[in-house]
Amino acid sequence: MKAAQGEPIVQINQLNKFYGNFHVLKEVDLTVTRGEVLVIVGASGSGKSTLIRCVNGLEEYQSGTLEVDGFLMPRAEEREFGEVKGLREIRRGVGMVFQQFNLFPHMTVLQNITLGPMRVRRKSRAEAEENAMRLLDRVGLRDQALKYPGALSGGQQQRVAIARSLAMEPHLMLFDEPTSALDPEMVGEVLDVMRELAREGMTMMIVTHEMGFAREVGDRVIYVDQGRITESGTPAEFFDNPKNERTRTFLSRVLKH
Amino acid sequence: MSPMQKKIRWLHVNLFAKPADALLTLVVVPLLLWAVWAFLSWALTAADWSVVFNSLKVLMTGTFPSSKLWLVWIVAGMIAALAGLATSASIPFGRTAAVIAVLCYLVLVLAIFGAAHIAPQALLVLAAFHAAWLIGLRVPVLRENLAPIAFGTLIAVLVILSPVGPSNWGGLLLSILITLTAALLTIPLGILLAFGRQSKIASLRALCTGYIEVMRSVPLILVVFCIWVAFPLVLPKFPIPDVVRGLIGFTLFYSAYAAEFIRSGLQSVAKGQTEAAESLGLSDFDLKRIVILPQALRVAVPGLVGNILDIFNYAPLVFIIGLTDFLRAGQMILANPENSARTYEIYVFMFLTYFVVGSIITFQARRLEQKLNKGVRK
Ligand SMILES: Nc1ncnc2c1ncn2[C@@H]1O[C@H](COP(=O)(O)OP(=O)(O)OP(=O)(O)O)[C@@H](O)[C@H]1O
Ligand SMILES: [Mg+2]
Repeated sequence: MKAAQGEPIVQINQLNKFYGNFHVLKEVDLTVTRGEVLVIVGASGSGKSTLIRCVNGLEEYQSGTLEVDGFLMPRAEEREFGEVKGLREIRRGVGMVFQQFNLFPHMTVLQNITLGPMRVRRKSRAEAEENAMRLLDRVGLRDQALKYPGALSGGQQQRVAIARSLAMEPHLMLFDEPTSALDPEMVGEVLDVMRELAREGMTMMIVTHEMGFAREVGDRVIYVDQGRITESGTPAEFFDNPKNERTRTFLSRVLKH
Repeated sequence: MSPMQKKIRWLHVNLFAKPADALLTLVVVPLLLWAVWAFLSWALTAADWSVVFNSLKVLMTGTFPSSKLWLVWIVAGMIAALAGLATSASIPFGRTAAVIAVLCYLVLVLAIFGAAHIAPQALLVLAAFHAAWLIGLRVPVLRENLAPIAFGTLIAVLVILSPVGPSNWGGLLLSILITLTAALLTIPLGILLAFGRQSKIASLRALCTGYIEVMRSVPLILVVFCIWVAFPLVLPKFPIPDVVRGLIGFTLFYSAYAAEFIRSGLQSVAKGQTEAAESLGLSDFDLKRIVILPQALRVAVPGLVGNILDIFNYAPLVFIIGLTDFLRAGQMILANPENSARTYEIYVFMFLTYFVVGSIITFQARRLEQKLNKGVRK
């Protein structure tokens, strides 16, 4: 892993995205290198989710280029007719953690985690379950394996969701406000898991409002404003010395509480 | 609280909470008591149930040849076993079930001594039901693969009965065959139609939507009749039995309704489920089969059960294509002048039969729903 550090895993060039006539992402340029932890902040509705969802193809874009692992993500016109070749292969290697967890409610925690490895990576049940238990151990939920998601707290569900993504052995993890739906006392347990991942060298793109976490764990922080990346820098530069006026207003607002 | 106080409290809460309740109770309860009393005194004294016993064969099987009735018993045993297995999927064999079972067996054993000639067979059918129930509880593989087993049973049943010729299938047997076949076929067809209606391919979407809307806007009897008429016109060289044509009519008609229930189930599944499954790299087929469909069916269960009940209750409409189902068989018995004085007995028996079968289906469905909802707490 270390050897590959520094080379780009996500390359975005002049990306534009529209919802109908609404221009959501505007001429976005962004490169994420292997091992990097990129934190994305910005006001509500600025397009953070849209940007991160483009990276694993949950959203399509209209122009520009977006490469993940050297694979050019298909544009809107190429996706009009069903599945695009190669898209699924890329998705296997990109984990996604959602604000609302999105665990499969009709499956146990264990089944949630083994589904991908068994159906997509064609692993045997025994192997998938062994690996799942190891991951549950890692997120501190070994004893919850046979429960249904509905019986877990939000923080526990989100940790299961992270384990589910990790089970696919991704080389890039996307987080879209993973702690925003959680009660305050559960935020810490999820951030701990993410901090641990960062320490192990996982490449991550994280949308979050947890500024303390961003400063501590992020390698780089970018600010999205009305669909544009208007500020980018190390946490120190970003938080202590923002160049852009709007970033400054934003920070003064969120850091107050 | 003493038991007496508890009882009084129960009466108060349930029957006399408000003046209007009290009034209603004072009117309804005596009326009900009177109705039950009148019915029982008629059923036990004036009624002559021999007409029902003498017509049982016709009511149950129509014109099925008497020499081949053992085939029907085998089929009854198989369907009972299937029902037992289905029961094991949602209901454990508890004390109440055991008591009911013992009572049933007692009645049947007594009936053997009372020289009812069909009691031994009925005993075996009941035993098949209970055996399958108990086996299903112990062997999870069986109850988890209920759908393929049900299809296998259905095919076996049709094969076993085919030497007799479908034109001789009748009575309750026919009603149940129609219900079972249509119920089993409408669900997969409904699934396909529901997915088709959401397809990205416009022509497929239009086709499925059109089909569903057309079927839902015409009466069942018309569809059954049209299908019956159309087959000989389209395939004059291959005569298809009336029963099969009737079954096709029912299946095509009720598939549209099943599709709508499943579609509303599909719509109830949160978008995040699809996104999470896509993010794992699941194929479109796996995504629908493993993630979406089970959640959608859960929501669709009450509607689908209602659909099955409808099929059972509307099965008498096959009289329009000359078939004799349970209700029709009863009417034919009454058409015999000898029985004309026994209208009530026959109708009461048919009423009770419909009521019992319908109740069993709804009871099972409710238990299934409860069981399905247990894992999911939203
Ligand atoms: N499916 C959609 N159709 C039309 N507009 C949309 C759609 N999804 C999002 N938008 C709009 O696109 C803009 C960006 O949305 P996005 O969800 O990316 O914002 P965000 O930065 O993640 O905000 P938040 O912090 O509230 O999550 C918003 O103005 C939103 O209203
Ligand atoms: Mg968002």
